[in-house]
Amino acid sequence: MSAVSEAVTTSAMRTREATVRRFALTDTIFRSATRLSAILVLVLLGGVAISLFAGSWQALSKFGFSFLTTEAWNPVTENFGALAPIYGTLVTSAIAILIAVPIGIGIAVFLTELCPRPLRRPIGIAVELLAGIPSIIYGIWGLFVFAPFLQTTIQPFIIWVFKGIPGLNSLFAGPPYGIGLLTSSLILAIMVLPFITSITKDVFDTVPAVLKESAYGIGCTTWEVTRRVVIPYTRVGIMGGVMLGLGRALGETMAVTFVIGNAHRISASLFAPGTTISATIANEFTEADGELYTSSLVALGLILFIITFIILAIARYMLLRIDRRAGA
Amino acid sequence: MKPMLSTDLNVADTTVEKAKIEVKNLNFYYGQSKALKDINLSLPERSVTAFIGPSGCGKSTLLRVLNRIYELYPKQSAEGEVLLDGKNILDRSQDLNLLRTKIGMVFQKPTPFPMSIYENIAFGVRLYEKISKAEMDSRVESALKRAALWNEVKDKLNASGQSLSGGQQQRLCIARTVAVKPEVILLDEPASALDPLSTAKIEELIDELQADYTIVIVTHNMQQAARVSRQTAFMYLGELVEFDRTEKIFTSPREKRTQDYITGRFG
Amino acid sequence: MSTALSLHQSRKRKNGVMMALCVVAAGIGLAWLALILGALIYKGLSGVSLAVFTQMTPPPGDAGGLLNAIYGSIVMTIIGIVVGTPIGVLAGTYMAEYGRFSRLTTIVRFINDILLSAPSIIVGLFVYELLVRPMGHFSAIAGAVALSILVIPVVVRTTEDMLNLVPNALREAGTAIGAPRWVVIRSVAYRAAMSGIVTGILLAIARISGETAPLLFTALNNQFWSSNLNAPMASLPVTIFQFALSPYEEWQQLAWTGALIITLTVLGLSIIARSLTGRREDR
Repeated sequence: MSAVSEAVTTSAMRTREATVRRFALTDTIFRSATRLSAILVLVLLGGVAISLFAGSWQALSKFGFSFLTTEAWNPVTENFGALAPIYGTLVTSAIAILIAVPIGIGIAVFLTELCPRPLRRPIGIAVELLAGIPSIIYGIWGLFVFAPFLQTTIQPFIIWVFKGIPGLNSLFAGPPYGIGLLTSSLILAIMVLPFITSITKDVFDTVPAVLKESAYGIGCTTWEVTRRVVIPYTRVGIMGGVMLGLGRALGETMAVTFVIGNAHRISASLFAPGTTISATIANEFTEADGELYTSSLVALGLILFIITFIILAIARYMLLRIDRRAGA
Repeated sequence: MKPMLSTDLNVADTTVEKAKIEVKNLNFYYGQSKALKDINLSLPERSVTAFIGPSGCGKSTLLRVLNRIYELYPKQSAEGEVLLDGKNILDRSQDLNLLRTKIGMVFQKPTPFPMSIYENIAFGVRLYEKISKAEMDSRVESALKRAALWNEVKDKLNASGQSLSGGQQQRLCIARTVAVKPEVILLDEPASALDPLSTAKIEELIDELQADYTIVIVTHNMQQAARVSRQTAFMYLGELVEFDRTEKIFTSPREKRTQDYITGRFG
Repeated sequence: MSTALSLHQSRKRKNGVMMALCVVAAGIGLAWLALILGALIYKGLSGVSLAVFTQMTPPPGDAGGLLNAIYGSIVMTIIGIVVGTPIGVLAGTYMAEYGRFSRLTTIVRFINDILLSAPSIIVGLFVYELLVRPMGHFSAIAGAVALSILVIPVVVRTTEDMLNLVPNALREAGTAIGAPRWVVIRSVAYRAAMSGIVTGILLAIARISGETAPLLFTALNNQFWSSNLNAPMASLPVTIFQFALSPYEEWQQLAWTGALIITLTVLGLSIIARSLTGRREDR
């Protein structure tokens, strides 16, 4: 087999050049298609912002800044204010995070430090699978199982315990409906728990083994290693996970809509029915008659969008920082 | 293996050798930093040239300029001229895909494509040639034979390329490169990830391939350079220190730095 | 000596307490989740019958099934995936291949991550403003578009991640043989990242098959069989929402059964997706 016989003849060379020209064209087309798709992602977010702004313009121009500070929500007189849903959204999410974070970190510590090795993977996988369960499942469970349970056992007990204590007695005032702000918070806590757990576990895994080993080496207990080495090292990542969980809790619709009670008022009691931004939209949007009513609901959506955008941006920024450190 | 080298040199040591590739005043930059400084050398046709030098000396960079594979990454740029048969391949008008069909490359780690052994070879051929199934079969067979792999894989051509051993994978990559009928083959430390037995096979193969192809090999293994190449270029800190017949470089180098390197005083 | 010993004792005690709390946390978390699944299986299973899959959603107080809702969910999920996947894969391809080092990629990655966790009800509002309001009526198409918008960020993320795992040496090898970039991407990079990309698509299906909020005011709901994409269409999640909040026992039972079907589908898809990537890691 000599080089001469293998050499590419001139006619073959010409077809090669034609092929090359075709390749250049298809490559340009494919490249443009991928680039356009990437830009479309930006357009989507921009489109969301613009459409929400346009849709809420009528309400915002009518009520102005007082939309944020008014509690009233009256479709009959067409007087709308976002204060009650904003309050409900913030309170339920805050309580949910307060409950879910310590438990989530506890589970993450359990999984990384305490759990017998053969159980680690199955439990870790179970946690991640649970993070994928649709929120409507949590909602239906909350409505039919959890709320009646709270109504008949836990809530009367708490009301009885705090009856004589000023301050707390109004925070936990009856009657026990079952549904309400606290129930929603608890459901949200269960919902975001798998998220916070799996992110915390992931960032715990980024702690270099040598760091932990050297702490154990000087005689630290497991708790001391966790408290003084692992948590400080992963603080930013945990915060990112918490913010991500918070973003989810703030925007969560179905789990809350079932159990919040949809009452547009701000009550001191956590047992009282309330509403959140997303629950209000889900409950009322299709029944809203009148442009102003619809526009007010879209304005609620815009507020939710802005709040979650800020929270999620902070979360992503924090997780990015820990990613960079893990990569370096 | 020493005798092989000396007979090679006897044949090779002719003055009127046609240059396949000529590098003229080549500078290369990674961003702001200069990785190659004013390189000039000429690679004779149908022979093996080795680039040696300590890591970071620019030998791989120089190799990657020859088929412009560096263009995959941003902020890397070359200045000067690289002439392939007298035509400057650094020219803007040079089509990169066409260039790479003429100048094939084999990498440090074996890189079988995620497809069958047969497809690994047919893939490159099919890009530029419309040929029948029968022709393709014979193309695949001859490429595999050329790479001394045919007997080992002829019964499992549909098996995944990744199922082969490291040495076989590397020979598959050589077969794949040969199949598209290049004129030049660039080898970037082709045996550094392989065991001694596979290494010996690859070296044997390189020796056979130089009858038809111009071969450039980058290696950190001086013995390997001495065994397989006819010319050797010693590079250091981005400069071409010395370029000569391999025998000359390893027995009586002109430069003190070359002398120091090949006697193991640094690197 | 004795103080050192007692300090050691108190440290050990503290450690014991904190570790016990962690175990309790794990116990509470897992038990709680087990309770939910248990209730779901208990309540849902009792309503499973052939009628669920063969009959339409009933009027209040009647027996019936979920056929039109299941059909609607499947149709809108398929359209959502078919529309969203190519866009997501292409965008992810740009980020990992052509635009790996570009500024656009950094921005798109950030925005995509925000879209990934943005409240789905906002996507519903967006599609309402984008399609439902101009068209003047709710439609299955609007619902499917809303779902596709949820698919895109999931697929973008996994495609980019999986393509980034493909070794550069493989791209260089493809390029060195003379293949243009798009052929290298198609025949080498996609092939190498295939199981990961499929995983992403499965996860996207899992995600949208349980989504309710974005369908509420896009596809709305429909008591009857409808295959008209330009008309409101029933879906499993919206039907569950409506039936669960109703006072009728038959409806509530169907809601539980529907919830069980969705959960099993989602879990099944997640497990398949997980086993696909699991195999890849083993190799």
